[in-house]
Amino acid sequence: MRVPISWLREFVSLPSDSAAVADRLAMLGFPVAEITERPKITGVVTGRIASLAKHPNADRLQVAQVDVGDGTPLTIATAATNVAAGQTIAVATIGARLPELTIAPRTMRGVASAGMMISAEELALPGEWFEDGIMQLESEVAPGLDAVAVFGLDTAVLDVEVTTNRPDAMSVIGLARELAASYGAPLRLPSFDNPGRAAEPPGKEVTVALESPDCRRFVSQRIDGLRVGPAPAWMRIRLALSGQRPINNVVDVSNYVMLETGQPLHFYDAAKIAGDTLIVRDARAGERIETLDGVKRTLNSQALVIADAEQPLCLAGLMGGASGEVGTATTAIVLEAANFDGPRIRRMSSELALRTEASSRHEKSLALTLTDAGAARAATLLAGFGATVHAPRAYGMQARDAAQITLKTAEVDRLLGMQIPTERIEGHLSSLGCAVARDGATLLVTPPPWRRDLSIAADLVEEVARIEGYDQIPAVVPSVAPHEISSAEYERENQLSNVLQGLGYREIITQSLRNEGTVEVRNPLSEEQRFLRESLLPGALEYFAEAGSPVRIFEVGETFADEDPVAERSILAFGFSADPIEEPNWRDSEFLRLKGDCEHLLRRVTGRIPGVARATRAGLHPGKTAVLSFDGREVGYLGKIDPRLAKRNDLRRNAYLCIVDIRALPSYETPTYSPPSRYPSTYRDLALIVGIDLAAGAIEEAVSTELRGICTNVRVFDEYRGPQTGEGRKSLAVRVTLQRFDATITDEEADAAIARLLEAMRAQFGAEIRT
Amino acid sequence: MTELQNQLQDVQQRFADAVEAANDGQALENVRVAYLGRSGEVTMLRRGIGKLAPPQRRDAGMIINDAVAAMELALRAAGERLEDRRFESDLAISIDVSFPAIAQPGGSIHPVRRIIEQSCAYFVRHGFAVVIGPEAEPDYYNFDALNIPADHPAREGFDSFWLTDKVLLRPHTSPMQIRTMQRYAPPIAIVAPGKCFRRDAVDARHLSQFHQVEGLLVAEGIHFGHLKGMLTGLCRELFGEAQRVRFRPSYFPFTEPSAEVDTTCPKCKGTPAATQCNMCGGSGWIELGGSGMVHPNVLREVGYDPERYSGWAFGFGAERLGLARYGVDDIRRFVKSEPDFLAQLGT
Repeated sequence: MRVPISWLREFVSLPSDSAAVADRLAMLGFPVAEITERPKITGVVTGRIASLAKHPNADRLQVAQVDVGDGTPLTIATAATNVAAGQTIAVATIGARLPELTIAPRTMRGVASAGMMISAEELALPGEWFEDGIMQLESEVAPGLDAVAVFGLDTAVLDVEVTTNRPDAMSVIGLARELAASYGAPLRLPSFDNPGRAAEPPGKEVTVALESPDCRRFVSQRIDGLRVGPAPAWMRIRLALSGQRPINNVVDVSNYVMLETGQPLHFYDAAKIAGDTLIVRDARAGERIETLDGVKRTLNSQALVIADAEQPLCLAGLMGGASGEVGTATTAIVLEAANFDGPRIRRMSSELALRTEASSRHEKSLALTLTDAGAARAATLLAGFGATVHAPRAYGMQARDAAQITLKTAEVDRLLGMQIPTERIEGHLSSLGCAVARDGATLLVTPPPWRRDLSIAADLVEEVARIEGYDQIPAVVPSVAPHEISSAEYERENQLSNVLQGLGYREIITQSLRNEGTVEVRNPLSEEQRFLRESLLPGALEYFAEAGSPVRIFEVGETFADEDPVAERSILAFGFSADPIEEPNWRDSEFLRLKGDCEHLLRRVTGRIPGVARATRAGLHPGKTAVLSFDGREVGYLGKIDPRLAKRNDLRRNAYLCIVDIRALPSYETPTYSPPSRYPSTYRDLALIVGIDLAAGAIEEAVSTELRGICTNVRVFDEYRGPQTGEGRKSLAVRVTLQRFDATITDEEADAAIARLLEAMRAQFGAEIRT
Repeated sequence: MTELQNQLQDVQQRFADAVEAANDGQALENVRVAYLGRSGEVTMLRRGIGKLAPPQRRDAGMIINDAVAAMELALRAAGERLEDRRFESDLAISIDVSFPAIAQPGGSIHPVRRIIEQSCAYFVRHGFAVVIGPEAEPDYYNFDALNIPADHPAREGFDSFWLTDKVLLRPHTSPMQIRTMQRYAPPIAIVAPGKCFRRDAVDARHLSQFHQVEGLLVAEGIHFGHLKGMLTGLCRELFGEAQRVRFRPSYFPFTEPSAEVDTTCPKCKGTPAATQCNMCGGSGWIELGGSGMVHPNVLREVGYDPERYSGWAFGFGAERLGLARYGVDDIRRFVKSEPDFLAQLGT
């Protein structure tokens, strides 16, 4: 909300520094998004055109004698065409500084001109919102005044943010009230007495029928004798500074009162109302209205309208219709100051995709009393323009006093950690308009009608803190009592990340919302983000494809599957892209590297080495994939990205990925120590020729079993396939470490064991010995 | 006897020359073998002792022994000299230490996780536990239990992605407040980091997917001053000891009183030059997030007695903090995680 500080000053005295005012508002809970300083303008005074004559030497120029209040009229030559004797205007005198120029004496076609009559644009107002030519002031303005000061053109405009609970502060008066309370300054309010006393003349009564409970109150008022024309300069300037375009004196009053009091108003041209009743009702399905923005809208029963006997004239709380619009020919209006159900207005606003200054206030549920105040202010202003105002009529709910809140003063200390004397608490609450009665250490507080957000003691504690200043509350580090809550899940995630970091992987975070998956978002931002990811694999592929060089990455994140309820899993994915290396096609060292990292990682977090077994998984190479398991329970899988998938994703390199279901991992098992043998070991390297499908792991296991008790390590350390091994056969190099725990193993013993082992390998796997 | 001595003298002379001539370990070893080895000259002379008359044998043995001892000493000394020379030439070499390092593959933690980790570590030091929870959550945990009934205007501030009528992607980490309080009795002291989602148009300052760190402390006697104390400490932890923290009144349905938390802009430090600062937009402050005293309705919802227990909660955006902390120009970089970005900020 754009608020000129000069307008605030009508109601409360403020420091001259606009940044200080902005800061104070922020510390009251109304942050200022922007401070728009006004350009420095000096030497502009109000003046009255005493006489106007044709320029002796130029057809297009006129020469005016302008009274600027000091008894000596200024002779000013002008090319403006909208000037006439008797007009009140603004004059930039000699030496005046305007944003674009400095005024110096000059001679125009032989006539010495002692200044310049100026336009709105020259006062740094939006020129297109004001009359062409010289800006017209009303005759009530005395000559010789400092125009910049009188019209508040020298003070900054604040763009104030108001939280949804404070519609009362979406107004100049509301913010002035806050500032007054905070500065301890008096608040000067205008009168809210409605000047309309007499009933409408017979035949001119328009009554209101409330057919929907969502209109909680409706104040109507008939106003006659209007002469539609420009509003006075002060009003137009305030509106313009507030970002509201001036239209005419009648429409401007409704906008002005809304900005000033926070109560949106609507004016119906009385001549355009069919019948004598305004009906507040649900729209009929298919009913149409053309709104003031020129849009023809088709309504359904969700919409609330104000209609006459024939058609809807207004979308309640949002915008008026073209058919009841106030125009230059309007002489009489019916004023509406209504209160609507906030949620109803919000639903309507979002359904019609129409958000207005009015709806942004109504949707937060305004105070009922505001209707009467708004009507009174509008009636007062219009009466000031010479209109005849009749007595207002009120319909619907009566405002009631807010429920009393009991505030134990100790509660302030309990919640804030700060002792504030009872008198101060009382003072703060009173300054905000609360009625406070004291009963010992308890305060009985009745919030003012406009503060619908105050209902419990904690609300009042916040008010006290706001006025006292949040910065006054001492900061204390609490001592936290022991509790039972476990951090295990978080710690495991962190540990996984830290180990992978140590292994040279970089963590990435990718989009959870993607263009594929089984769980659909009902209201996606785009088709590209319609689904929740089912796997971390696509994100990794995308990353591999976009990276310009080989990368090693990991991601920890949630994946989603379409179950009831939605199945959410915490997944770790890690892997790398790599340029191809020279090696036989039956070997894949990169897979083994990934497997190595995988074993290291799982060892670190579970204390154990996982089982690894051939398998197939979607997206992975069918011959280069394995599942990881503990105690037969799968915890993840790893493999090379299927080359067809890689191609579809524009991967220029081989890629390998391991996926781990974090919550499936067993908890950490502390390893136990077994001391090494005190006796020396010996080893034998064997070359076994076996069938091509026999897994190295199976050989290792069989050797361990066969030599149990004297073998401390078995390791397949090389593989060879070629002419020497024969079709369908491969040669595995195995190192067997032999060692006893009770004595030194002798060569004879070792040789005998190996002979026995080879016999067993022959029998078990058809293994031949390569020599 | 004299003959033996003469012979020995001759041998020793030649030995000394050979030792002098040997310029590496192997040459020296060859000299040793040639004179003192199994068929070396001195060994041969010793064998000749047997031909002498017994009374002379002892003297001859002693003479040879002395000679051998002297020769061994000379060999050792020569060996040490050679070694010294080797060290000297080795130590005389210098390399170009400015040559590019041979790097290990650089692993790193994402800057967002790093911020989360450091924040959590700070709270853990003060006795908090860290809990994590689901991203797809029923509206009950996201809204209803947090004092935001349907139709509440504040729901608008949480423009959310809905999966079903009741389930949405959490727009904040606050559901973890409810989940934790429903599971445990007070005292509660937790931080809850995690990914959140909002239907916000993505630009240089906004993400539709971001991370929050939530904090909740509920016990007897917990007040707003404690919130200020802990969050001030957190900012100093993340940004340095001189960091200032500002609490501004605000509105959240699940806290009362509520506060917006700002900290001095780490870039301009809130100095007068701040007006030009593109990090804080000239205010000298950056927004951390929301906070406040847990609303009595929220405590009641989880079965806590608001007359007895009080507490505070806060939630702040990790990427927002990251912008300030690492001087990142565009918040979208956190999600892109480009290799260069990670290489620069990954720690």
